[in-house]
Amino acid sequence: MNRTRLWLVLRREYLSIVAKKSFIITTILVPILIVALGLGSGFMMILNEAEGDRVAVIDQSGKYASVLEDTEEYIFETPGDYTTDNMRQKFESGEEEAGGQPYYAIVVIPSSVDSTLQVSVYSSSPTRMSLREEIERQLSRAVTDQRVASYNIPELDRIISDSQAEVTVRTSTWSDSGETVTSDGLMSAIGMGLAFLTYIFVLTYGAMIMSSVVEDKVNRIVEVIVSSCKPVELMLGKIVGVALVGLTQFAIWGLLIGIGVMVVGSLGVVESMTSPAMSAVDPAAIGAAAEMGADNDLAEIVQAVIGVKWAMLIGMFLIYFIGGYLLYASLFAAFGSAVDQQSDANQFMTPIMMIIVFSLIIGQSCMVNPDGMLGVICSMIPFTSPIVMMVRLPYDVPAWQMLVSVGLLYGCAALLTWLSARIYRRGILMYGHKSTVSDLWRWLK
Amino acid sequence: MNNLIEASGVVKRFDSHTALDGVDLVIPRGTIYGLLGPNGAGKTTLIRIINQITFPDSGTVLLNGHPLRPEDVMRVGYLPEERGLYKKMKVIDHIVYLGRLKGMTSRDATVEGMKWLRRMNLEEWAGKKIETLSKGMAQKVQFIGTVVHRPPLMIFDEPFSGFDPVNAEQLKHEILELNREGATILFSTHNMSSVEEVCDEISLINHSKVVLSGNVTDVRRRFRKHLFKVRVAEPVVAPMPELFSIDSINPDRMGGCVVMMRLASGVEMRDVIAALNPHYTLLGFEELLPSMNEIFIETVTGK
Repeated sequence: MNRTRLWLVLRREYLSIVAKKSFIITTILVPILIVALGLGSGFMMILNEAEGDRVAVIDQSGKYASVLEDTEEYIFETPGDYTTDNMRQKFESGEEEAGGQPYYAIVVIPSSVDSTLQVSVYSSSPTRMSLREEIERQLSRAVTDQRVASYNIPELDRIISDSQAEVTVRTSTWSDSGETVTSDGLMSAIGMGLAFLTYIFVLTYGAMIMSSVVEDKVNRIVEVIVSSCKPVELMLGKIVGVALVGLTQFAIWGLLIGIGVMVVGSLGVVESMTSPAMSAVDPAAIGAAAEMGADNDLAEIVQAVIGVKWAMLIGMFLIYFIGGYLLYASLFAAFGSAVDQQSDANQFMTPIMMIIVFSLIIGQSCMVNPDGMLGVICSMIPFTSPIVMMVRLPYDVPAWQMLVSVGLLYGCAALLTWLSARIYRRGILMYGHKSTVSDLWRWLK
Repeated sequence: MNNLIEASGVVKRFDSHTALDGVDLVIPRGTIYGLLGPNGAGKTTLIRIINQITFPDSGTVLLNGHPLRPEDVMRVGYLPEERGLYKKMKVIDHIVYLGRLKGMTSRDATVEGMKWLRRMNLEEWAGKKIETLSKGMAQKVQFIGTVVHRPPLMIFDEPFSGFDPVNAEQLKHEILELNREGATILFSTHNMSSVEEVCDEISLINHSKVVLSGNVTDVRRRFRKHLFKVRVAEPVVAPMPELFSIDSINPDRMGGCVVMMRLASGVEMRDVIAALNPHYTLLGFEELLPSMNEIFIETVTGK
């Protein structure tokens, strides 16, 4: 191994990707897209609020029409002059409604309400499930209230409201660092988020390596290069070069997020969220803030966010991410060397994809039971551990498991890199030959 | 040490077939050496072994008298048959990159690269991307990338394939020039006319073995058919079966004729001259040596 040549190769690989327009565009566009998606969905919600569907209520009992309250989706109206028959005519003939938007549906409440209230909904096309749920929810509460009231028990309202209890669970952990508030929802979200990041990046950067390897073959440059440097130097140069591309991308995103938070923070939007976080050093202050009753939920969340061992999490994420990347990267390089063009690579991509998606599924099941047998085993196996361990990580994985898992991951990555180099050095010089898995096996020997 | 490369008993097997089977090859320093043979004979494998891209299963390859060492790749320039460039790189950056991989400093590679670009009339393309070059220009850049570090040994695998006649001529000129400046050149080809014009020595590889090698003139002499072209002032020459048979007689413009004759075995030209001299006016004679192309076909097809 010649360090100068390795450095030359990885510098070229790095610059060739970073200088690409597509790299610059995706790096800048991804955060913008995420923000735009967030804003967009918020905007859509506002739009939805404004544009509720009109629903006509024909209340034959005369008791319940007033009970139905408008929601974001539906506006309940009681047009006096409507009957079931003339509404039906209108729907069937498709006649325009005077005065704006046509009715989305008609709700008919029958006159006699016995043990069950049989409400009918008519419309010109199948209605959304939410309409039925909304009517059921609102009317059943009204009917229950009415029935309860009909017993004429004094002070019953107060008794009921007293007897109704809302149960909230606050989870904390006791450890040598004292009591920390944790949130299992938050833990799962963080774990799954990290697992998903690993999944996306291993695939994206893996594909980058593969296309770089195939490009060398397509360009017919590879034989020129390996007459100057060893194939393993070229392969490692590509793997490390792309890894540096990834880290550059992370750094840019970190910077953009930082700038974004500062901009938004200065606008005062998140002031209420950041101010308790600022005083994180003093838990008493948080307690006090919580007791002040400012916003209990928010304080809980902030406390839980602070309770997460971020340094450990990010550190372990990087360790697993790099290990997982190295493991898969060498595979992508070996497979890329075996094909003549990008489109032939699919047969080799599929098994890799299957393993990674499988890990993600196992990871999901680990959210329910992070210390389950399957989760523990899969967080040891190198091919699944970078993703599965991410999900388990927020729930304090025993140190020995972590050590074994990381050791296996890096050991296996090293072994696989060595094996891949053997395949790679044969594969890159093979042209016009559709390689199969058994060819790769022969090249190994 | 007069030989730059000495390969002996080189064997290379791939899975089911043997690419090289006990190949010996001696390349004297300062020569232009032709490696001939049909496709699939093993030429590229041998070249890759000299370049240390692949390694022989057995046998030795000596460079300057010592077995090949990893750092020897710095002393070799290689233009493979399958050659290409990184399309997105700038011309000069690409040349510098290849030069630096061969151990040059960034500065030297830039200076030498620019010198070569000037020499090939590509100076104004130095800052352009490879993808904007025409095919002929890209081929010149490939050539520059091979020689920019001034290696004592330059290896060209089918250098003229894909070149238009003008560029092929310029390439040939540059190769001869480099040879004059002291470089040893090894090139593989099946373009036989270029062999006669350019090569000092050849080896012919067929079915993984060297079937013929040596100095080009010696080889042609070895394949002599004892065919002579004799011109006399008389319109016809009568055959002398004990000395020669006549392939053809063609009259020339001055009333004489040109005779293609094949000498009988053991007969020398001087015997023929002695026999003809009393009866004919001899105007000229010349031995017709077979072309490398004929030798190639004869050796390879066994005819």
